[in-house]
Order: sequence, then C-alpha cells, then structure tokens
Amino acid sequence: MAKIHYNPDACIACNTCVAQCPVAAVNADFPGPRITGPASQRFRIMGNIDEETLHFCANCKNCDISCPHNVPISAFNMIARAEFTKKNPFSLRDWMLSHGALLGRKLGLVPAWLRNVGMLNPLTRRLLDMLGISASAPLPQFAAQTFKQRMRTYPQPASQRKVALFPGCYIDLYDPQTGLDLVWLLNKAGYEVIVPNNFDCCGLPMVANGFMEDARANARSNWAELSSWCAKGIPVLTACPSCNLMFNRDLAEYFPEIATGTAALRDAQEFVLECVERGELALPAPDPQAQPMLYHAPCHLRAQGLGLPGLSLLQAVFGKAVRNADAGCCGISGSYGFKKENYGIAQSIGQPLFETITKSGVALTTSECGTCRVQIMHGTGKPCLHPLSLVRRRLELQH
Amino acid sequence: MNQATVVIIGGGATGIGILRDLSMRGVHAVLLEKGGLANGTSSRFHGLLHSGGRYAVGDNEAAKECIEENTILRRVGKECVEETEGFFVATKHDDPEYARAWVSACERAGIAAQPVPVAEALRLEPNLSPNISTVYRVPDACVDGFRLVWHNAVSARRYGGTLLTYHEATGIEQANGRVCAVLARNCQTGESLRFECSYVINAAGSWSGQIAHLAGLDVQVSPDRGTLIAFNHRFTSRVVNRLHKSADGDIFVPHGSITILGTTSSPAPSPESNRPSSAEVLRLLELGEPLFPDIRQYRILRAFAGTRPLYSAGSGAGRSASRGFHIVDHAEEGLHGMISIFGGKLTTYRLMAEKLSDLVCAQLGVSTPCRTATEPMVRPPSAETLAKATKYFPMHSTTLAAHRLGEALETVVNTMDAEPEHPILCECEMVSLAEIDYVARDPDTHSLHDVRLRTRMGMGTCQGTFCSLRAIGALTERNVPLNLSPTEDVAQFLQERWKGVRPALWGTQMKEIMLGRAIYAASLNLDGAIHEQQ
Repeated sequence: MAKIHYNPDACIACNTCVAQCPVAAVNADFPGPRITGPASQRFRIMGNIDEETLHFCANCKNCDISCPHNVPISAFNMIARAEFTKKNPFSLRDWMLSHGALLGRKLGLVPAWLRNVGMLNPLTRRLLDMLGISASAPLPQFAAQTFKQRMRTYPQPASQRKVALFPGCYIDLYDPQTGLDLVWLLNKAGYEVIVPNNFDCCGLPMVANGFMEDARANARSNWAELSSWCAKGIPVLTACPSCNLMFNRDLAEYFPEIATGTAALRDAQEFVLECVERGELALPAPDPQAQPMLYHAPCHLRAQGLGLPGLSLLQAVFGKAVRNADAGCCGISGSYGFKKENYGIAQSIGQPLFETITKSGVALTTSECGTCRVQIMHGTGKPCLHPLSLVRRRLELQH
Repeated sequence: MNQATVVIIGGGATGIGILRDLSMRGVHAVLLEKGGLANGTSSRFHGLLHSGGRYAVGDNEAAKECIEENTILRRVGKECVEETEGFFVATKHDDPEYARAWVSACERAGIAAQPVPVAEALRLEPNLSPNISTVYRVPDACVDGFRLVWHNAVSARRYGGTLLTYHEATGIEQANGRVCAVLARNCQTGESLRFECSYVINAAGSWSGQIAHLAGLDVQVSPDRGTLIAFNHRFTSRVVNRLHKSADGDIFVPHGSITILGTTSSPAPSPESNRPSSAEVLRLLELGEPLFPDIRQYRILRAFAGTRPLYSAGSGAGRSASRGFHIVDHAEEGLHGMISIFGGKLTTYRLMAEKLSDLVCAQLGVSTPCRTATEPMVRPPSAETLAKATKYFPMHSTTLAAHRLGEALETVVNTMDAEPEHPILCECEMVSLAEIDYVARDPDTHSLHDVRLRTRMGMGTCQGTFCSLRAIGALTERNVPLNLSPTEDVAQFLQERWKGVRPALWGTQMKEIMLGRAIYAASLNLDGAIHEQQ
C-alpha cells in the first residue's frame, strides 16, 4: 500500500492547508504546504527535485490537521527533505539539532555545569551562530543529571501494577523534573514506573532535519522495545506530544514495514485522567483561589486528534482559572526556531500567542511540549510548566 | 489581395512541419488553420514518440520510419521530447510466440530491444504488476505534440512563413486545371479573404476529405476515433506497452506530470467526434489493469478523444489500416498544384513534411535541400538567461518553462526582472504570471484556452478551478487584449475542461469539480454574470 499512499491524488487543491499554515502566514517566500507537498510531489515523481522553499516547512502538522481529505502533506515534505539531504552536502548544524540524544550520551561524562558553560557561553553561541543556530534562540540547558540517572536512585513503592515510561529526549536531558512529577503522580495512583534502558530518541527531529535513515534505525529498535512491553500488558506512556505523534502516527506513515501490530505509546496525561476515572487517583476539588493561567496546546498534540487531555486534567484541579490560549502555533516546532534562518519566522509565528498571554495578565503558562515551553518563556518572559508538574503541585499542597 | 506560392491547409504537426520546411527552403508559404494550433489530432493523442516497436510486427516499414524519426527528433526537438525509454511488457496470459516474432521484427527494423529481468523491471517501475513474465527495453520516448507544433511554428515564422489560426478554408479556386487561389474566412471577424497561390497542400488530417471536397476531389480518409485517459500523477516513469498484438488500452505514457493511457479504436462518424464516453473510460481501465493492478485507485483527471486520419484506400480499417503515410498529387486526377498528405503518425510528421516539400520544391525548381533533420527547432536560451530564470521560477519549473518558451524565455525573465512579485498562477502545473502574460500577448493567442495549450495552465490537478480566475483577473488588470469578455472567457475555458472531466466524474475528481462548481456557479454566479453583461 505504501506506493499508493505517497501519491498526491487525494489533494483537491482547496488550499485549506495554506490558509492554516503558520509559516505561510508570516513568510511570503513560502508558497505553502499545498505547493511544497502534493503539488510538487507530482513534479518530484518526474525526477525534478529541488529544495528551494521546502526548508521553510516547520513540520508543525497544521496542514495535516486542516486537510479535509487526509492528504499526508507534511510527510510529502519530510520525504522530499530526506531526498534532498541525501543528495546535498551534509549540514553539521542539522545533524547536531537532530541527534541530541546521541550528543547527550557522548557528553554524558562531562558535568552538566561544564556542558552548559561549554554550550551556552557567549563565545560558543557565536560559534553555534556561525554554524546556523541563532545566537538569540532559547536553547534549553542540560540538567545536572538526566531523568534516567535520577530514576536509578528514585525511591518508589513496589506495586503489582506497572507502567513503563518513554521519557523522550527533552525530559531526559533538559527537564527531568517533569518526568519525576509524572512518576510521583503514577506512584500516587498505585503504579510502579519502569524506565526501560533500550528506548532511544523517537526520531522525529531526525525526520524533520532530513535524516530519514537514522530515524528508521531508531524506529526499528524503539518499536521492538515498545511491542515487547505492550505484549506483557504493561502500558508505555510519554509526557511528550511529539514523541507520541511520532510513535502513533508518523512511524506508520514513514515506515509502515516497522510499525506493525497493535503496539501503541500512550499519552501520559490521558492515562492520568483515566486513573482518576478508575478511582485510582483522587483529585482535590478545583481551587477557587487558583491564580489564572493560560494553557497552550502544542501543534503535535492537536495533530493526534486525542483532544486536550492535559487541559482537561488542569481544569479538573484548577477549574476556570486555567484557560486555553487558543492562539495558534508558538513557532518553535522542535529545532526549527533555533535555526538562524528560521528564528525570525518562529518569533513572528509565535507573536499572536505571546500577545494573548501578555494581554491576559496571567503570571503562569502551561504546555506539554518542552520546546513550546522554552519558546513561550522566551517570547513572554513568563514561566511555562508542564501540566503534570502543576497537577502535582496542587496535589502536594492539598496534603 | 494576399499572395503566396503555397497555401497549406491544416495547423497540426504535418501542416506546420511543411510550413517550416518550405520556409527554410525559401518558398513563400501561408498556413490556414480553422481553429487554434494543433487543435485536432496533434494534441489529442498519447504523446508517445514511437520507437517503432508497436508497429514492428504488423508494419515493419512504418516501424523503420519511426525509429529513424525518433532518433532525429530527440536531436532537433529535444525541448519537446522526454527521453524516458519504453518497456514492452508481456503478462503470463500473453502469447510468448508473439514476443519471439516481435523481437526478430524489431531487429529487422533496427530497433534496439533488450531483455530486462522481471525483478529489475519491477525495481525500476514498482507500480507494474508482479505478474508480468517478459520485459524488453526500447527507445520509446514522450513527446509534447502541442509544444512540437508550436516550436515548429516559431521557427517557421523566423524563416518568413505565415501562420493564420482561426482561418477556415472555404473554397479552392482553379483555372485551366491548376489551382489558383484559396478562399478563407476569418472565424473571429467573419471577414472573407482570398489567397492567390500556385500550390495548395491539403494537410488537414481527419478533415482532409472535406478539404479535398472543396476542390471537387474525393479522397479515402476515414477518421478513426481514439479515446484516452489522463491520470493525475505519473505512476510510471517509462512508456509501457503491452507486448502483444496491438490492441486497445495497452499503452501507458508518462506525459510531464501526468500519465496517459490509451487508446481505443473505432470508426468516427465525423472528424469532430471527440467527446469521450464513460463506457470508453471504464473499458480502458479494465484493459489497463493487467499491467498496472492499482489503476482504479489512481485519480483520473479527464478523458479525451481524437480522430486518427487513417488512409483507407485499398487496405483495411482501424488497427489493421496502414500507419504509413501517403502523398497524393492530384495532378493525376487533372488538378495541378493540389497535393494531399494522409495518414502517418506524429512521430513521422517531419519525414512527411520533408517528402511533401521535396515534391513541391521539385515542381517549383527549388533545389535547396531539406534541413529539418539537422537544424534544431528551438534556439535555446542563453546560460545567463537560464541562471537568471532560476531566481524567479518555482522549484522544478525552470527547465519546463525553458522548454516551453525556447528563446522567448529571455523576454519572460526580463519581464520578471522588472516586476516586484512573481506569482505562480497555475499551482498544479507551476506556471508563472510572467509566462502567462507573455503568451497571452502573442497575436495567435485569443483566449485562456490558447494560453492553456502553450503553458499547460489548467491542465493539472484542479483542471482550471483556481488558475482560470487568477489568470483572467491578472490579464484583465494588466490590459492584455483577449477576444471574449472575462466572464465568457472563463466560462468557455471551464466548459472545455469540464467536457473532459465529465466522462470520468467520480472519486476525488468529483470532489474537485464540486469545489469548482461551488466557486464558479454558486459563489461567483458565473452564469448569472454572463446574463447581466448581455
């Protein structure tokens, strides 16, 4: 079926995707997903491959979300980008931005403070800027210990009910606290959390940067690992929307030969909500005194069609204090907004969201996606936390 | 009073080829075409530049002509030809005896036919059926018939040839057993014209019976109807022929961004019989399925039909009629100066033009030899122009536009230089405003329909839904003169597109056309707008 899947026949040129594309809205040089995707696909099949405007695509998936005919628009773009990467000189910058897990492992022996000094000092930032990573971009800081390291000594009550966790690179390398907050909530719901050693990066950044074969290798080992846990009846959760999207939708699109069977990664927020429904986790009544906050729904979450379980969870404990910002894409789209040529585009895309947050007067924002949070903090100066961290705080306060 | 040595009737590949050949030899020639260029059979075929493989067994002489002309056209008309190569593919149900006969016939005709292992063929063409048994590779190629006619026309003009489109021949005058003039009507103004001449060339293809009739002659041309399907994308990158006795629905041709499947063959009641039917589309799908099993899942853009001008004197009709060509000097019937040319194929149009021009030149005492086999048709744009063009043309379309425009690319690029924005008006076929503007200003362009033929605007996925409105808006704003009012022009353009879509109106194409209908009939009230203007 794959050979039919990648034909552009389903597109009726309605241009809905162009109207919904965050990049096309702010950058007149980008002709939009309809042209770079299905329309150009007809020419790529002729053997005419040219990247000229394809690099503008952020792989944010808003085209796929809006398409009334299920055209795999972003997949056309990413496959074309992979073809381009194969045929053109290697970009060290793109490799670095898409192989964070590997870099993290290699740099693992260097203490985090030194890594951060090494990576984030003005001199390195100038060097990175020369490589094409914008000196203004909000690069995240390495955590002192990775999530996996912290979990080795993290005390958990033993339980017969077990879940496994796919932390994803962001939580593992930069934001272990969010992972620990999830573990805390799951423990509270009576689950023991296993963090398997064999999971690697989900591969989404590799796809987005044109390294399709590296993504395929990761997909193969990750899918085998996921399937083995699912076969044991142990659910595997992730708190990262992009990892979840990669496992549950993109893998089947790019590597149908790998993503076989019934294995699935689960959205951790949705799983926690189900714990509440099953009576495993008791939530306090909404706090009438809660300070107002705005929730940002990451594009990669919306692309999954799961609804907004993180927001539902927040509303369960904070009531009306939390509102959906509903102001579109934040612009960062993983590593996209870190790139020098995209930094300005990413900031323009995020502008409506930043303005919504600033004008609302809230002191706190929240979103599931790590890079969305970095971007929101960069664009508004306000803290942005994972919904699970806020839920944990609320539960802890109650006790 | 108009005068010419030769008046050619018929603006298809043959007529234009003759106009160019005679003009290159210094013979003063005028061509009359009742419609737009190539509006007959030259734009209503599968776009296959035959290697001759298809005719090798049945008509080895025609096959020889094909391979020779195929080789010449790749050289002199490379802008019109895509060198895809072709496969001849037998399924397990096809007679292996035929394949053996075919291989030796190819050898006799000088066609290089090399066996390809099935696994290798499937690797190269993954959409082919895994149930194929034998594959041969031949030097088939794809040719854009319209572009070929147009580049011949540009070259003919350069040599002083005159081309009058939308001019219908209405009479042939004769005196003392010689033709002396052709009467014509300008179809757009209604004006009558008279062209004094010494020779009349009847190159009207399927219409040549009617032209001969104007001179009181009777010729045995029977139009034979062929229907074809255009698919939205290219699911084969090579021409694929079925390796069996030539039949219906056994040729697949990748034509630019689309794939064409053809053809049918049935006697046509008239040369204008070009409205395809759903029954023909369904039959073609059924016939094509053994080679491409997923064929029903590919989106059909449209169907179209043309009529082959088969010369039926003596031999059989339909598929058994000769694909060779015939030149008849009507002097033998007592009318000097009147020559008809029949039959043939687009692949051999140049040879047909050469032989006919040789005959005319011999009678005129002109000894200049034919140069069409050696002199390239198009003056390619300069390297600087090409480099500049890549700044303005989107992605992949620079080469395509350069091939369409030839030396005119420079003019178009200079227009782009002077303008602040370079929008693409036809996103399906990636045609820029600058190219559309340039073509629309050509004296031979009268409508969006003519723009479409030269640029491919409106020939892709949306079949005119988006580009027709954009183009008419831009051209009106830029004061480009066209014959019809903007609303009538768009309505006529869409009607012509919908004519081809109707016989295959299902699946995704149905959704596409409903979108078009919602835009033009509902939102823009195009029909109502025409009434208001009246």
